[in-house]
This record gives sequence, C-alpha cells and structure tokens, in this order.
Amino acid sequence: MDTIFKALADPTRRDLLDELFAEDGQTLSALERRLPMTRFGVMKHLKVLEQAGLVTTRRRGREKLHFLNPVPIRLIHDRWVSKYAEPWAATLSELKTRLEEEPR
Amino acid sequence: MNTTQSSGKRPWTAGPTEKVFEVYIKTTPERLWEAITDAETRSKYGFGARVESEWTPGSHYRLSSGDFPLAEGENLEVDPPLRLVQSFTALWREEVKAEGTSRVTWEIEPVEDSCRLTVTHDRLRDNANSELYGGWPMILSGLKTLLETGETLTTPGSLRWSIPDDRSQAPASDRA
Repeated sequence: MDTIFKALADPTRRDLLDELFAEDGQTLSALERRLPMTRFGVMKHLKVLEQAGLVTTRRRGREKLHFLNPVPIRLIHDRWVSKYAEPWAATLSELKTRLEEEPR
Repeated sequence: MNTTQSSGKRPWTAGPTEKVFEVYIKTTPERLWEAITDAETRSKYGFGARVESEWTPGSHYRLSSGDFPLAEGENLEVDPPLRLVQSFTALWREEVKAEGTSRVTWEIEPVEDSCRLTVTHDRLRDNANSELYGGWPMILSGLKTLLETGETLTTPGSLRWSIPDDRSQAPASDRA
C-alpha cells in the first residue's frame, strides 16, 4: 500500500491518472503532449504509477497503451475510507439505492 | 486491430472502448477460478449477484438476484483455470440494457504465491454508461478480501444484490 500512497502523493501523477480517466488507453506520446513535461519526465512518472499497479499497459502492434487501473484505489477505499465514512456513506448509499429503484 | 472473431459471429456491438482492471490475490488459480464460476462463492462478493452456467464453451451464463436478472451472455472461451471470455449484456436497468453487448475477459496468471487477475471489459461503445464497468473495482476488491481473509466486504453497497437465505424468493422490490 505504501507504493500506492506514494504514487498518489504527486500532483503530476494524479494529473496523469486524470488524463487516463478522461481517455483510457493512451500512448506515451499522447500523454506527453497533454502535460507540460519532457518525455523522460512522463516516462518516469508512468513507471511509478505502473509499479503501484495504478496503470497497466498493453501492447497494440508497435504501440504501448496505458490504462488506468482503479482497483488499488478501491482497495484503499475498502480498507481505510469506508471504515471511517461508513455511518454517513451507508445512509446516503441506502437513500440513493431507494430513490433509484423506486421507478421499477 | 487484429481480433479473432473467426466464426463470423460478433455478439458485441463493435465498440472501441476498453477498460482494464487488475488485482493481485494471494491464492491459487484453481481457487480463483472456482470463486469466479461458483454461484455460492460468487454471491459473497460482486454485489451479491449469483452466477449460473454450465461453463462449457458456447454455454450461456446469467447473473441474477433471485428472479431479478442483472446480466447475461455467452461463454466464448472457457479455459480453466486461466482464461474465461464472455459476452456481456447488462440487464439491471433500461439505460444499461440499451448499451448492448460488450465483452469481458478474465485472465489468471500465477505469480509466485499469488495470482494476477486481469479483467478486461472491452467492446464498449464510446462514452458508454460507466455503470457498465464501474463496478469492477469493488467486485475485485471483494473477491480479493474473500479469498485472502474469508470475509465479505462491509463497504456500503458491496452486497446490494444479495438476498438473505430465508428471503430468497422475495420479489426484487423488497430488496432495498
């Protein structure tokens, strides 16, 4: 979990995750164009995100595509956040479920 | 893009969008495969939905909560305990039903004393309703928790489709 928190502790890396959230499966070149940073800098940050499991890659022909993997963030949520937020979240979640299910 | 849809049969609606979900779980491929394909085990995570299928290539599968259907599709490739490819049609709301049929690929790769489980949800249309794939992180988190600790998630909503044993015949509207 340390690697996940460390990866998330940097604003550029969070920007990269947001870029992938907005458009998944981008190449290094595409990401480089979107951030005011050198190719080497983007590569370095992507590597940290990959090691934390927050980004996974797939080869498509000659291209390497980067995908946001949101599962580690969910693990943090289920391990840490939900425990502390549960009394509130449970109420809101039930309300949401009820409201959304009413039309059925 | 090279794909192998050699049968000429394309159950999905040819969407270009692909989502990848990956998690490491300390377990064996066999136990992981069972947790994905066994109705009872599956109902302890994955929002509490039960899965029913014969798990042979070409067989049909169905995810449901009591009589209420949540999703269905075909098992396109069944290669236990490492690979399962399914077509996927969401049924839980009209809006997601209208998204048509996409594809879900489960890949299990042993890594030392653990397994890397990758779920690829692709053939989604551009700007597909995120409800279609937005549940995967919680499903995989619940699966990891179950296999590693034997416990179910306590996160609100994580078992929202489960039905207590004594109410298994209750109508869907009673669930909330």
